[in-house]
Amino acid sequence: MSNSVFSVISRFVEEYRSSTPNKLKVIDAYLLYILLTGVFQFLYCVLVGTFPFNSFLSGFIACVGSFILAVCLRIQINPQNKRDFLTVSPERAFADFLFAHTVLHLVVVNFVG
Amino acid sequence: SHDPSENILICLFSLLVLSMVLETQALTPTHHLTTTDVARLQAVLSQPFTDLKSAYYSVVGLSKLGILVADETCQFIKSNLDPSSVESLFYAAEASQALSGCEIPVSNDTRDLLLATVSEDSTASQIHQSVSALSSLGLPLASQEVVSALKARISKEDNVLTIILALQTASRLSQQAELGDILEEIEDLAARLDDLSGVYLQFEEGLETTALFVSAAYALSDHVDMEPPLKEDQVIQLVNSIFSKKSWDSLSEAFSVASAAESLSNNRFHVPVIVSAQGPAAISHSQPFLRLQVTDVLCQPLSSASVLVESASTSSSKSAILSQAPFTLRDEVFELNFMASQPASGYYQFSVAIAGDSRFVANHVELKVKVSTRVAINNMDLSVVDKDQSTGPKTTRVEYPTKAKAPFMADSHQNFAMAFQLVDETTGVELTPHQTFVRLHNQKTGQEVVFVAEPDSKNLYKFELDTTERKTEFDSISGTYALYLMMGDATLENPILWNVADVVLKFLDEEAPSTIQAKTLYTPKPEIQHLFREPEKKPPTVVSNAFTALVLSPFLLLLILWVKLGANISNFTLSPSTFLFHIGHAAMLGLMYVYWTHLNMFQTMKYLAIIGSLTFLAGNRMLAQKAVKRYSNCFKLILLLLSFASTRMESILFRLSESFTFPYKVHYVPFTHHIEN
Repeated sequence: MSNSVFSVISRFVEEYRSSTPNKLKVIDAYLLYILLTGVFQFLYCVLVGTFPFNSFLSGFIACVGSFILAVCLRIQINPQNKRDFLTVSPERAFADFLFAHTVLHLVVVNFVG
Repeated sequence: SHDPSENILICLFSLLVLSMVLETQALTPTHHLTTTDVARLQAVLSQPFTDLKSAYYSVVGLSKLGILVADETCQFIKSNLDPSSVESLFYAAEASQALSGCEIPVSNDTRDLLLATVSEDSTASQIHQSVSALSSLGLPLASQEVVSALKARISKEDNVLTIILALQTASRLSQQAELGDILEEIEDLAARLDDLSGVYLQFEEGLETTALFVSAAYALSDHVDMEPPLKEDQVIQLVNSIFSKKSWDSLSEAFSVASAAESLSNNRFHVPVIVSAQGPAAISHSQPFLRLQVTDVLCQPLSSASVLVESASTSSSKSAILSQAPFTLRDEVFELNFMASQPASGYYQFSVAIAGDSRFVANHVELKVKVSTRVAINNMDLSVVDKDQSTGPKTTRVEYPTKAKAPFMADSHQNFAMAFQLVDETTGVELTPHQTFVRLHNQKTGQEVVFVAEPDSKNLYKFELDTTERKTEFDSISGTYALYLMMGDATLENPILWNVADVVLKFLDEEAPSTIQAKTLYTPKPEIQHLFREPEKKPPTVVSNAFTALVLSPFLLLLILWVKLGANISNFTLSPSTFLFHIGHAAMLGLMYVYWTHLNMFQTMKYLAIIGSLTFLAGNRMLAQKAVKRYSNCFKLILLLLSFASTRMESILFRLSESFTFPYKVHYVPFTHHIEN
């Protein structure tokens, strides 16, 4: 059982390494970073306490929001999805990504207190 | 004829008790002059006069009240008379008429002057004065001329005072004159009175005008012997208005009130009747007579009246006790022995009618009469009852007003009980007064507890004291309590406070007996300290710092990964828009930090708008360039492909065209030439 799981995983990793364009790998690295940041914030909250609760919320929401926006960017940039996003060029996707981030940052900074 | 001043003195002080008189269908006066008011009116009019006008008001006013003035006034009048003034002549003439044996010398000039004033061009006041002077001085006058002058005057000036003066003037004229039109003015004027909440009827010009109207209307009506078109209710409302004011601002106002009072008590048609009870309308065995004073508006008793009780019924049950019982006149007071009908104590509604003269107005009166009685306490039995009913109750009878000799004991085993009956002293009928209280007073501590004794269905009062039940009322303080019976009611003449017995109460769980302090309701309470919300406990700085480092660590990982992936900025196009974009973007991030530390949302939005639009424009440019570059590479590729495809297509077409014969042979130039250019 574990053998098959291991082989699936290694296969997946190989596949990923070879067939994913570099651009997407950059974005994936960014996604990993965001994820880890969010996880560590949650860990703090669980272990130490929710004292300034609004700050915790705003930090966590920032991580979640950034993750989502980056995923959107990744989807829109991926050349394999070109058919689904005929009207959206990668530049347009990136511009949207930046604008959405501005709004997110505004909200987060307002809430962090 | 009786001396009115003596009557006024006899007319005893009565309350403005007409408020006690309930109004049913017909109005009864709510305001009237009492003897003190009449005396005050007299005093105002008796003030020493300074000139002829005030002399006129005083002399004529007092004569209307039936008071004779000293003859020395005649001298004063004669010396102050100005024969060239109509007004002066008027005052002198009227005043001298009121005095006995006072004659004003009249010359031909005076007469001519007075007659000349009677014309359409004089004011109504002048006409009135000249006509009155002529009439009082006994000089002849032409009534018809006066009438036409008055009518002309009325049609020119339609105000109330003019018409009142016309009425007064008309009452001095000959009865053969055509006074019909002027008489009709009374009705028109009456329509101009203001009705105030159904109680008052007065002119907006004020009290004086209303009073003058009343005296003028009745003077004229008496003169022509025709009933004035005033309804009974209107007359009463006029009475209310005129006699509601008990102190008068000016001599003329007092004079007008006096003349109105005189005309209302002496005219041929309407005489308002004032009925008031002498003292409180309360009857008891010691005071069995209900006494009523029946007077006219000048507080003069109406001796010709006969007063009758149409019906007397209890306020609650409305069963009639009396019907058609007459009052007897004694010393100008009408009295009725109501106790002879043996009424039970309580309140009674009397409906009284005053007859004897068809002129009487408001001669049906409703009165509320109280019958009080003395109460006697019968069969006061004090007993100590065993709770478990093992032994029978020990009963002691106590007679009022003695006190029981031995104290009674009430504790956890036995209750104290009290039973008694309350009866009317004379009739023996059972009574239920409003207040029957049992008061227990601890003499040592000063504590007192009051209970209510309730009657049962047989009107037997019972009170029981159970020490376990009543612990809280007594604060569980044992001791000797003096027991009092308190009784009172509006219809009882003898309220009772009777120290019946002493009761020794023993409570279980007795707290240390302390003197009772006054309940601490009104002492300052302990101060409430406001507790601010405690700030939450913060974790130690070490922990916070450690986690901060932990949270920031993935950034390092990101950088490492990016380097590994080979992310670079080699594609960085050096153009102004890219610079601007990156600077703008950095500025926006910086603004976020500043927003967190210093700014508020509005300021941030302002700056964001500026920086954001710049960044947007620059970024748009930059991305467009990038896109163009990408597309241009793409375009070149596509075009190349297209060109290949097109050459292939061309050669195929050419071959095909050879197989078929075309009418024309086209000179074919390969397409590729165009592309290469």
